[in-house]
Amino acid sequence: MIRLYGKVEQSVMDEKMLQDAVEEQGPKEEAGQISKEEGIAFNVVLQLRLEYKNILKIEHLWEFTSLTKLQLNNNLIQKIEGLASLSNITWLDLSFNNIEKIEGLETLTKLEDLTLYNNRISCIENMDTLNNLTFFAIGNNCLGQLDNVIYLRRFKNLHTLNLAGNPLAEEANYKLFIAAYLSDLAYLDYRLLKKETKEQAFAKYQYAIEEIQHNELQTLKATEAEQSRQDELQQHKEAFVEYLNGSQLFDSMFAHDQEAQKLGQLPGLVGLCIQMFESGIAEQKLREAEINAFFEVLQEAAREKQQRSAQLVADFEKYRKKRILDLQQVEDVAQQEAQVNQYMMDIKTLCDSCMLLELQLVDQLEEIIKDFERNITDMVGSFIETVQGIYPFQFQFFIGASHDSHILRIDNREDKLVTRINAWMMNLIKRIQDEEVWRNRKCISEIRNFKQHLRNQLEEVLHHE
Amino acid sequence: METLLELEEKEEEGRDMGRNELNNQELVELEKTVNINITSPEDPLLSWTKPMNLSKCPTSYQLNSPQEKQLLVIADNFSSQYSHIFPNRKPLFLCPSNECGVKKFVSTTLRRTMLPYSSLYDWDNCASFVADHLVLQALDPPIEPPRYLISPTLVLETQRGTCFDISTLLCSLLLGAGYDAYCVSGYAVREMCLLDQTRQECPLLVGKVEVKDTLAEDKRQVRKYAVKPPRELRSSFERGQQELKEQEGRAEMLKRQQEAQRLQEELERPSVDPLQGQMLHCWVLVLAGKREILENFFIDPLTGKSYAPNDKSFLGIESLWNQHNYWVNMQDCCYGCTDMEYNLGDSTMWESVLFRITEKEEEDELEEEEEGSAEPNVFEMPSSWVDKITLSKQDLERRWPGGSRTTQYRKAKLEQFTPYLLPGGLVTRLTTYTDLECQEVDVVREWYQNRQDHLEDRELKRTSNVTTELFSPGRKLKLKSHSYVTLTPGTERHMEFYSKVRYDGLLRRVESPGEMEETFEHRDDLLYSRHVFYGQSMKTESEKPGSRPLEKVVERFHRDKSKAAREDVAERVFLLAEGCIEVTFHLEDHRIIPIRRSFVKPKMLPDGQRAESWAPSMATGYQVEPHENPPKNVYLYEMLTALMEEEEKVTLQIKRSELEVREILATREREESNTELRTSIYDTARNEKVQRYREDMVRAKEERQRQEEKEIDLLAPFLAKLGDPETLSPQEAKKLLEDCLANQRKRMIEQDKVLQARYEKETQALQQKQQWYQQNQLSMSKEDEDQYHAYCSDTVFRMGVIKQRQSRHKELGPQKHLALKEKLSRDPRLAPHL
Repeated sequence: MIRLYGKVEQSVMDEKMLQDAVEEQGPKEEAGQISKEEGIAFNVVLQLRLEYKNILKIEHLWEFTSLTKLQLNNNLIQKIEGLASLSNITWLDLSFNNIEKIEGLETLTKLEDLTLYNNRISCIENMDTLNNLTFFAIGNNCLGQLDNVIYLRRFKNLHTLNLAGNPLAEEANYKLFIAAYLSDLAYLDYRLLKKETKEQAFAKYQYAIEEIQHNELQTLKATEAEQSRQDELQQHKEAFVEYLNGSQLFDSMFAHDQEAQKLGQLPGLVGLCIQMFESGIAEQKLREAEINAFFEVLQEAAREKQQRSAQLVADFEKYRKKRILDLQQVEDVAQQEAQVNQYMMDIKTLCDSCMLLELQLVDQLEEIIKDFERNITDMVGSFIETVQGIYPFQFQFFIGASHDSHILRIDNREDKLVTRINAWMMNLIKRIQDEEVWRNRKCISEIRNFKQHLRNQLEEVLHHE
Repeated sequence: METLLELEEKEEEGRDMGRNELNNQELVELEKTVNINITSPEDPLLSWTKPMNLSKCPTSYQLNSPQEKQLLVIADNFSSQYSHIFPNRKPLFLCPSNECGVKKFVSTTLRRTMLPYSSLYDWDNCASFVADHLVLQALDPPIEPPRYLISPTLVLETQRGTCFDISTLLCSLLLGAGYDAYCVSGYAVREMCLLDQTRQECPLLVGKVEVKDTLAEDKRQVRKYAVKPPRELRSSFERGQQELKEQEGRAEMLKRQQEAQRLQEELERPSVDPLQGQMLHCWVLVLAGKREILENFFIDPLTGKSYAPNDKSFLGIESLWNQHNYWVNMQDCCYGCTDMEYNLGDSTMWESVLFRITEKEEEDELEEEEEGSAEPNVFEMPSSWVDKITLSKQDLERRWPGGSRTTQYRKAKLEQFTPYLLPGGLVTRLTTYTDLECQEVDVVREWYQNRQDHLEDRELKRTSNVTTELFSPGRKLKLKSHSYVTLTPGTERHMEFYSKVRYDGLLRRVESPGEMEETFEHRDDLLYSRHVFYGQSMKTESEKPGSRPLEKVVERFHRDKSKAAREDVAERVFLLAEGCIEVTFHLEDHRIIPIRRSFVKPKMLPDGQRAESWAPSMATGYQVEPHENPPKNVYLYEMLTALMEEEEKVTLQIKRSELEVREILATREREESNTELRTSIYDTARNEKVQRYREDMVRAKEERQRQEEKEIDLLAPFLAKLGDPETLSPQEAKKLLEDCLANQRKRMIEQDKVLQARYEKETQALQQKQQWYQQNQLSMSKEDEDQYHAYCSDTVFRMGVIKQRQSRHKELGPQKHLALKEKLSRDPRLAPHL
């Protein structure tokens, strides 16, 4: 069904349209009244329905960041665009439009339900990132190539598919082809795919499918291998000894020097590298254990303090309400004043004791942070020493008469290691200290705020009278 | 005899035996003082054996075999020499009379038997069964060995006996089970001889030591980093002074405690026993070596408990015996049995009645025998005169005589019953007292079995009057335990549930007059506690109880990690009386003050409509972050609406809980007034349903058999013709017989006719075929001709077979006729008339 542009009045997605839609679809009855009075922010809206509006172009949706369901069906949209910021969306309905190409969906990784029914799409494409897709309707389109459906194999969760009304659905082996290639599919064109059909389909396309499965398995294995290699490299980088567990250093050194390559293959040199590499890995493990032990104690101390302070506050809260009630009922001015004073004193005591706990914690943490800093510095220092012990002199011994550029390369590698490990250490310590300062500030401001809040409340009560 | 010589050598030693003999006069006096709580009839034998017909005893019980007679002579000889050499020692317990008044040697009274019950295979179970199953008949006088030793079979039957009888039975069973067991005759303390356990702690009350878990503490210590404890701003002098004071206080307390304990002990000390060391007792000794026993030990047959051989309760050993021999103790007993050696082969320690090689020496002996220097004519102990010991399964299950027993312990009374004996399913009742005289009841604890209502344990504390009941899984509302004072609703009670099988995860419900607290576990909404406070009921007592107005409901939730802390509710307080709702959220990281919101509910019209519209003043709260925007009104409004809905649900839930409590109480009351026991479907003796089913099965089988017999009843059709008369007159019988035979004859003829008809048919077919052949012979193909010949030979063969059958039928006809006649003449209905 293709609508002619001239006959209907096209409209533009402007703020008013959005606002109206949001208000109309927002809370109902009394809640609707209230929300209308104070206005609804676009970034908290979860669902939006914009159907039968003759929209030509998707615009101005960037503010709806929490949106999970968007319905734009029965419009005149020609191109999928302007949806990039709706990263939380799980349901998208673009049926009955004039879309010709699937595009602009790359960022919608949470998408589960996609409807493109009754458009003019001729190819399934550009959907690689939609890993969570479970429902896909693309009926009444211009899909002609049955092979194009194989593209959908990558969606492991795909449960329901609608393809009816496409040219490809006219083909004789349409159902069997799809049942064979999308073996996890449960419903095709809103009908259950029976077990017998699937078996029949599998028998028919067995060889082709097995080949595809084989290829997919190969690719999967390759990606996994690549992934594990990357992980390992990352681990080595964390230990600052990447590319030292073999002869890469020398290979790179002699890449342009055919003659000296023989020298590089001397077993001693590679052995030294490996020695360094192993000590690096061992040191890294030690460092990790140290950091874990430190953080465990740090967190525990903080948690304990938090609990104790929270207990103090909870104890105070228990009687606060009753005391305020009492205050309101006291008639004698002098007595009231005495009670108010007492209350103020209590607030002060509470805040003081919270502050005291906080200060104690700061002292305690400062101490263990210092300890930790010292330990980690020692560890890093000893590691650098070990590396330096093995590194320059021995290598120079081996390639004493070698080219200067080679020595430079070796030195560079060493410098890189030392700089990086020092930077890492500085970063770590700075981060810990920053976090501690941030925590401390947050806590003190919290206590202050609470104190202020309590006083305000008291004043309010007194003022009220 | 060899033994005699040896005995004489040891005469001197024997005189030194550390036993203070009392002279006769003293003894009589003592008996007057001591023999108070021992109830024993004048002549035990008479009273025991009355129900038993002695003449029914096997002859071995009433007579002695020649071998036994010889043994008695030897024993007589031994005992006269013994009394000659050791005039100060008690006469030996060698040849008491049995229940028939015949003298029997003690070793032959031991009858090695293994009972066919696996529960009696191990010594501990066996001993406790014997102890439970028999009633002690105290020795009279307590310092003399009994005149009679009853056979184990009779002891089992009458379920009573002296310690000697009981030991003999136990020893017989242990020997049967393969233990190296001996009966020991000796001296023990009074409590043991008279089975007086009033000074002992009840075994059910001791041994409840809890093991502390130290794992958690260890884990903390292996940390590398540790925060220093905050500095304490206190004077160390003051602290020292205070500690000193505390120490003094503690010392004082300790002293007082010790003093109290000492006084208590003094109070409990038993009166001095004038017969100390004289009371005769008989028990069982098990030596190491067999059935993986590593150390020697004693078993007291009266309690079934085991003791180490150096236990203080055993004061001396006179003699011991098993089924092979009898040994007299030659060792000094002035320090009890502590230093006793049980090397029975050593004749300096143990003097045996019969010359017998111990098993260890047996091998050497065998070798010697081969050399020809063997001992000639060793007198072997004759085999036992006692019948095989038998025990019925019912007796084993009933355990105690009459199915119950009461034992008095220190400050406690233990009553035990056989399962299914009492209608309430009670199996054990333990009553503990606060005083030694057992007047003031402290706690009554009862254990039940096989109850339909799954009650297992009930404890009543007299001081607080609180009853605690424990239930096994399987009740309808998953009740696990219930403590209460009375069963009326609304009073103080504590219920625990099997929370895993309850859909609402309820673990505990504690009620007191104004409150009810429910604790939950593993709920999807993470609720873990609901505390209900009731207001004062303004209604009069006549109105329905339990409809108390709710004043306040507090619900607490665990942290839900999937939500942000500021949106995860930690506590909800519904102040129903004030019309307020307060919500507290969980703490964020490092925060100490939670976000709080309190709402004032809008007033409601009677028809459930709100009378007030929303106003921002209905919600107040504390905002942790002062710079943050305050929450939107819609958000608060929706929260309030949701909370009001929740409130209604909670109120309903509470009503449901109250109803449940009432239901449980009603059920309990009903169950208590009408207790029922359940029986396992495998328990064929008790389960009536199974029994009935089995009987039905048997009956059905019989029915089937009868049916089968009826089916081949030849006379049935003829009897039916006569109208199935109960009895047959002679004429009728004759007619029946004739009818029957005639019928058979007729049948035979019919069969013959059938055969003849078949034969004729075949012949006719053959003739036709032949005719057809002759007509078409010339125009026939070779194949058709072959076919024709094959057909002819086939038909001729078939005709031959029919002919043969016919002739056999004729041959067998008379035989069959005779056989039927024979059979009919034997028929019980016809026989009397023929």
